[in-house]
Amino acid sequence: MRREHSDTHFYVAPLEAPPSRRPPITTVGPLGWMRTNLFSNRMNSVTTVVMAGLAVWFLWSFITWSIESAQWAVVYNNLRLITSGMYDRKEIWRMELVTAILVFLTGLGLGIWSQIARRVFIAILLTLIVLLVVPIFGQRIPEPTIYSLVEPQKAPSNFVFIGLEDDEVTVTLDPLTDLDDTGLHYVGYIESRSRAEWSTQSRAATTGELDLSDYNLTGVVRIVDQAGNAVITPDGPVEMAFTSDPQTSTVTFTLPQDGWYIVEVVRDDEANGGRDNNLGYSWLTIDGVELFSSQEEPTQRREEEYGSPPAIEHALFAEEKAYRFDGTRTFGEFISLQISPFFNRIILSVIVGSAIFFNGWLIGSLGKRERTIRRSTLIGWALALPAVVIILRGFDGSRLLPLVSTAQWGGLLLTMLLTVVGITASFPLGVALALGRRSKLPVIKWTCTLFIETIRGVPLITILFMAKLIVPFFWSALSDLDLTIRMMIGVTLFSAAYLAENVRGGLQIVPHGQIEAARALGLNPFLTTTFIVLPQALRAVIPAIVGQFISLFKDTSLVAVVGLFELVGIVDAIVSGQPIYRPYQREAYIFIAIVYFIISFAMSDVSRRLETSGAGSLRKQQ
Amino acid sequence: MGENNHADEPIIICRDVNKWFGNFHVLKDINLEVQPQEVVVIIGPSGSGKSTFIRCINRLEEHQEGQIIVDDIELSHDVRNIAAIRSEIGMVFQQFNLFPHLTVLENITLAPRYVRRQARRNSDELALQLLDRVGIPEQARKYPGQLSGGQQQRVAIARALAMQPKIMLFDEPTSALDPEMIKEVLDVMQELAQSGMTMLVVSHEMGFAREVADRVVLFDEGRIVEIGTPDHFFENPQHERTKLFLSQIL
Repeated sequence: MRREHSDTHFYVAPLEAPPSRRPPITTVGPLGWMRTNLFSNRMNSVTTVVMAGLAVWFLWSFITWSIESAQWAVVYNNLRLITSGMYDRKEIWRMELVTAILVFLTGLGLGIWSQIARRVFIAILLTLIVLLVVPIFGQRIPEPTIYSLVEPQKAPSNFVFIGLEDDEVTVTLDPLTDLDDTGLHYVGYIESRSRAEWSTQSRAATTGELDLSDYNLTGVVRIVDQAGNAVITPDGPVEMAFTSDPQTSTVTFTLPQDGWYIVEVVRDDEANGGRDNNLGYSWLTIDGVELFSSQEEPTQRREEEYGSPPAIEHALFAEEKAYRFDGTRTFGEFISLQISPFFNRIILSVIVGSAIFFNGWLIGSLGKRERTIRRSTLIGWALALPAVVIILRGFDGSRLLPLVSTAQWGGLLLTMLLTVVGITASFPLGVALALGRRSKLPVIKWTCTLFIETIRGVPLITILFMAKLIVPFFWSALSDLDLTIRMMIGVTLFSAAYLAENVRGGLQIVPHGQIEAARALGLNPFLTTTFIVLPQALRAVIPAIVGQFISLFKDTSLVAVVGLFELVGIVDAIVSGQPIYRPYQREAYIFIAIVYFIISFAMSDVSRRLETSGAGSLRKQQ
Repeated sequence: MGENNHADEPIIICRDVNKWFGNFHVLKDINLEVQPQEVVVIIGPSGSGKSTFIRCINRLEEHQEGQIIVDDIELSHDVRNIAAIRSEIGMVFQQFNLFPHLTVLENITLAPRYVRRQARRNSDELALQLLDRVGIPEQARKYPGQLSGGQQQRVAIARALAMQPKIMLFDEPTSALDPEMIKEVLDVMQELAQSGMTMLVVSHEMGFAREVADRVVLFDEGRIVEIGTPDHFFENPQHERTKLFLSQIL
């Protein structure tokens, strides 16, 4: 706004101003942007090409992997665990209620205060349509089946599993062959329902297009019960021979009673002239045993019910033997086997959620000018956190809301809870500490400084362990406190100390003139701090504060180490506790990485909007 | 131009005021009485203590010796006294010190609403009247950063007036302004003086001092060198220091 006074020059303006011309094509538009930003000089051009190449390579390998061979069943078969942990199944409606409340309030708030552009609206609608359409092409994917490899030169493995009466079990034996003469690539398929999972090469093996002359593995597969008696069906004992014949053999039978069963694999080396170095492999798969929905029923409880597993030589717990198949599949198979089942799981929640959101949004945007609506929205948000905690936790002895102890909370629910509690509690505490550290009273000043520096000098994991182990030792009242709540306190204190330093940085940039002006107007120190200093200081450090909150959100993953099952902890538990998913750790961790990214990105997007909105963008230091 | 009501008690009384910044003796035995409705312009070279002096009057600075009595209240460590005096005194700063995160209207209404506890409607009405008085009624909803320096300073004056003070202090109100904006601010100040406001103005605007001031005070090295009516001061200065100062700036 300050105008420069140029010296007077002798200059005679032409009678007419020259017509304005278009800028050269290379300086504006996409071409101009690329020229200035990507190819401004030789070094930049080289960097651009190299980085673009790397990015394409990385994305290409990731996308091909996730379409062709990733098995996302680990995610959508465990969606409930990932979202809410061990939260009581019967009480899961409370989770849904809470989500509905928060979604509604978000819609309301956005409707009132945010200028949601029409294109955002359209984008959401399009997403909904996609979500509606995709499942039509899909089918439900079965849980992974149990399978094992019958290998030459090794003692055959026997499976042990628990079956329930009337369970229909399918045992499939698939011959495998070695496509590569060097002999280490297994091909084959698990069983017919998952056939599409498998590569074209494996199909070639089963359709006999391969030369299987080297294949020479024979033997028999038997099913016996715990006492060692063969399982008898009306057709005779359940038995299945395997030979060099590349045809699949399958036997389906019904279990006569609950209990342990053994799948015995007996390789017949005699039939091969006593040689045990026959080439060839075979997949043995068992399907239809409910065993592997193990998230529903922990192994321990099953063992209590059915007794210890039978002791046999070379026994493998069916669960423990799981191979990862890295074949290829087509894009169509990807959609129908991997994407659709996922959408199938979430479609109802998404539709209901969107309906609630748009309801809120509509009410908000129509009632934008109504003071009552704005006020009730604010009050609603203020009450949301305690309401959510009360609904989720419930009361001891209540019939409507029976107690679900925080020890059972897990997954995304626990992560979000730790984050939200951490943010809402550490923000005022951090501001108070920052103000305290600048106090003129030495006692307050030194207390705050000591607190901040102590916390900042210690890693978060140490604080969490202290909250878990050491603090209750000093202060017995705390040992009764739930571990989850102790973790909340730990996370809050840690975040507050860092926040205090961020806020202090903001306080220092508020010019002294602002405080003088406020004092000269008769504002007391409290009013000055509240209305003049803090708004300016906090606005100046929004990026730092939001960064702090984002790292708080990510740091909550550390509570997994002290034994809470938040997002990382629960995925850990899934892939280690359910052996069938053990080969799919990659998918599970990638999924939660995406969840973390989406939430962090949303937070930093909010921060960018806060910085540029309203008075924030017009901030001016005089 | 304010009429001198000599019958009244002086509204500001300074007796033997001394102040140190550390070891630096910045104000030395200042004695000054200001009558209600009087306009006093304080001039002097930079570092002479004139800004420090007027900042002592609303206790933005603390004096160590002597007495300052404003509207029968003596400035002391008593917090209530300070609050009472500050609400009697409006102050305008060289750097405007508007609150950049608040709109012009909010800048003006903040103190009336939270210190005087006025209803929002009343304070808004008063603020709009004041903006009208300083000539920028159309800027109420803007933020300070969107205004020119002259407009900002006029908002600062309106903000001080919103507390309905008995005394206005101006600390070099035009020094940070571009030349073409100085006049608009001085015009507002002149109008204020004519309305009978008691004003203490630290300024380098000799034209303003000559036209509007009832008395002119020259500060040098922390003491008052000369006090006089503008005519007397500019046409017939008594002191050598005054003559030297005037010869340098006029």
